[in-house]
Amino acid sequence: MQEATFLILTALADGAQHGYGIIMDVQQISGGRVKLRAGTLYTALDRLRADRLIAVDREEVVEGRLRRYYRLTPEGTKVLAAEAARLQANAAVALTRLRPGLAGGLA
Amino acid sequence: MSDTQTLERAYRRILSCYPRSFRADSEDEILAVLLATAADGQTRVGPGEAWDLIRGALRMRLWPAAPRPRTVRAAVALMLAGAAAELAGLITVLVTASSVHAAVAARYPAATQATTVHYVFVLAGLPVAIGLWLWLAWANGRGEDWARMISAACFGLLTLSVLSSLSQHAATYAPASMMAA
Repeated sequence: MQEATFLILTALADGAQHGYGIIMDVQQISGGRVKLRAGTLYTALDRLRADRLIAVDREEVVEGRLRRYYRLTPEGTKVLAAEAARLQANAAVALTRLRPGLAGGLA
Repeated sequence: MSDTQTLERAYRRILSCYPRSFRADSEDEILAVLLATAADGQTRVGPGEAWDLIRGALRMRLWPAAPRPRTVRAAVALMLAGAAAELAGLITVLVTASSVHAAVAARYPAATQATTVHYVFVLAGLPVAIGLWLWLAWANGRGEDWARMISAACFGLLTLSVLSSLSQHAATYAPASMMAA
């Protein structure tokens, strides 16, 4: 899974958001490192909708402009949880090996 | 015209590169996001933004995000392979035509006209076959039901034609090409 996709799913993990909200949230989650551009965001949303990992939650018209809110589907929740667990496991191993003194070894 | 209107028109020009289905569904929505993220007083699309939008359009056109089961993806790959095989066949026929023709003429002088007719048929048929496979790969990739039926029918016909040519003509080609070599 690409990082942008992971961050978009993470942004939707605790509730529905619209496109601009996702961009702002992803920037915050990544500590300002990832600034999604609209083209990247909508290509990812298009694919995630087709794969049924996200779905349209509701639509609103604000100041004459369409706002569509997206939410995770149960399948999307499952996929995100699996990816997060995988990243966490890899990170744990990396951190352990970087601190051999603390972690000890098999020998 | 206000700055926002100028910028909106510029964005819409780039968004016209996107597939029609995407634009019908999401053009106003992505436009709202683009305008919300634009700087104050911005009237032009920056190069980074433009590239990001064009790349998105290319991705959507080349790899449409329709949900495609693994079997369909495999079928599409096989059809593209089919088109490649036909292309290889076409090149082989073009490259070897004169030598095969000479060999056949030398051995069976009476058969010259028949070989020429056959050659023209093959030459005309192969590009059609290549086009057909590419078209079917495209249509199946979009998940069209009719495309599946046509592919199945084509595959059946192809199998029959290979079997029939193996039983009749293949034996003629082999000595001809050996003599040409």
